[in-house]
Amino acid sequence: MAKTNAIEVKNLVKTYGNVYALKNVDLNIADGEYFVLLGPSGGGKTTLLRSIGGFIRPDSGSVNIKGQNVDDLPPDRRPTSMVFQGFALFPHMNVSQNIGYGLKLKSIDKNVIENKVNKMMDLVGLKGLSNRMPHELSGGQQQRVQLARALILENDVLLLDEPLSALDAQLRKDMCIELKRLQKTVGISFVHVTHNQEEAMSVADRIAIIADGEMVEQGTPKEIYSNPKNKFTAEFIGEKNIFEGRIKDFNKTKVVVDIDNDNIEIANNNYKVEKNQKVSLSIKSESIQIKKMSKTNSKVSNNQIVGKISEITFLGQFVRYLVVLNNNQEIQVRSYEEIVNLKVHDTVSLSWKLEDFLLHQN
Amino acid sequence: MIIFFVLPLLLTVVWSVFERTMFWMEPGFTLFSYENFFFSSRLENFLSSMFHSSISVICAFFIGFPIAIFIRRRVKKVAQHRVMLLFILPFMVSEIIRIFALRPILSRNGVLNSLLMDFNFIDTPISAFVFTPTGVVIGEIVSFLPFMIFSTFLALEAIPNYIFEVCADLGVNRRRMFKDILLPLAAPGLFAGSVFIFVNGIGIALIPTILGGPGSVNAGLIATQAIIALDFPLAMAVSAIMMFTLMGLLYIGHRLFNLTKLLEPIS
Repeated sequence: MAKTNAIEVKNLVKTYGNVYALKNVDLNIADGEYFVLLGPSGGGKTTLLRSIGGFIRPDSGSVNIKGQNVDDLPPDRRPTSMVFQGFALFPHMNVSQNIGYGLKLKSIDKNVIENKVNKMMDLVGLKGLSNRMPHELSGGQQQRVQLARALILENDVLLLDEPLSALDAQLRKDMCIELKRLQKTVGISFVHVTHNQEEAMSVADRIAIIADGEMVEQGTPKEIYSNPKNKFTAEFIGEKNIFEGRIKDFNKTKVVVDIDNDNIEIANNNYKVEKNQKVSLSIKSESIQIKKMSKTNSKVSNNQIVGKISEITFLGQFVRYLVVLNNNQEIQVRSYEEIVNLKVHDTVSLSWKLEDFLLHQN
Repeated sequence: MIIFFVLPLLLTVVWSVFERTMFWMEPGFTLFSYENFFFSSRLENFLSSMFHSSISVICAFFIGFPIAIFIRRRVKKVAQHRVMLLFILPFMVSEIIRIFALRPILSRNGVLNSLLMDFNFIDTPISAFVFTPTGVVIGEIVSFLPFMIFSTFLALEAIPNYIFEVCADLGVNRRRMFKDILLPLAAPGLFAGSVFIFVNGIGIALIPTILGGPGSVNAGLIATQAIIALDFPLAMAVSAIMMFTLMGLLYIGHRLFNLTKLLEPIS
């Protein structure tokens, strides 16, 4: 995998007044990679994308695209094209005029433009709509026109700034599949900004989590989902059961974490930890076994917590139990079959397998 | 709508075919007033005032549109409306005074001539600035320029910012930006401003009265003079002709630009 880098971002800093939008961000995006910048709004991901595209001039740091430094180039002279948030089409031009406008500016022969526009419309699935005006198109179609308008310039990188945020949920899912297919077809790098983790997971080859102007974590969707190294990432991708604690003891196979004077043992998954270090633990709600406490089995082991059910919700495919622990922390448990004898206010024991707990750096 | 708009217009047309009496008019049907208009120097005056108005419109376009573009593109968003307010300030002064004030500026030994001579642009003062059609055109531009700026700014303001970002991404140069983006998107505003200036140019009697010479008589002045001469049907006929000219223009504009679009961003 000796892929060359399409984009190299080094030490990028951007401030607005005394607020940091980007703090020393480094980023490498490989050729032909579908890269997603994921993070909460106002976290700096759009600023990063716009710095790559040349719409924002960073305070310091550098951006290289295809090995060439582009810091001093305006957007149109960078080998990037941009798909904007919302429906950013020229309202007075029809579909084919919108798509072909970038080529028209380069005074390319009319017939050549027409050919390319037609090919591009087939590629993005707009066949037969060439004479429609933007206001006669659906949201999804408008975004396809934007894609075509950007891709027709055959630049090395396509930047997408929340391209699907204005679409409804179902359409967004369909467009994700389309985007991924399109990227495989054209083979260039896509850099896609979104705050929607589902969207990110479904399109990305790699994801970078960005928050507070900093690169929190990078990895494949699988790594980010099933083994987030960072507490913020775990929270952001929707983990509900997060515990804060300190490392009490560890050896090659196990780590013992002290959480409010309860010891929790977890499997040591090559974690780099020190004694007394502050860490967080998380566990997926479907990995917890919930059982009614009877008076006879009241022994509490290391891999068990006791709590009270505060709420039972039937959610179609599964049942969700909210359990309140002795320290008032709330835990979500997801069970795919309803456990008959459990009722609200029942005292229950929660247990899990050692390897189901994940450890995150704070 | 009907009471304040349609009824007066209808009455104008009805009265224009009434017979003239010594001090008023009496019901009847005669096209004498229209004959009186079309077969006299009045028609010539009307046509030349249309010509002068057109020049005012063109000048207002070349001065006003760039100002509107500048405000939209270069002035900070928060300050844009404050800058537009500056153009309303002159309207705090009565129109007569505003136009009258142009006389000492434009006259033979007025401010403009002395400035031009001080900077050695001319050797002898130009007397054509006032009491000529040129004077009328200058007066019209000074009075009506804000309307061109308002209406085009309104149209430009409705252009979302992303359009300019897309242009930056595609590499649209200034000439292309003007021709392909700003001009077509501001067209409804340009048309509205132009019609306003054109209609006022042929309709407002004040400007040719104060700044015009013997040759510069517009429709408004013809009507005013007719009223002074107690020829009410003629005044009505002139008004009706102006009205039909305006309606024709608006119809053309509506077919070309769909004027309702202009008012969309406001609501």
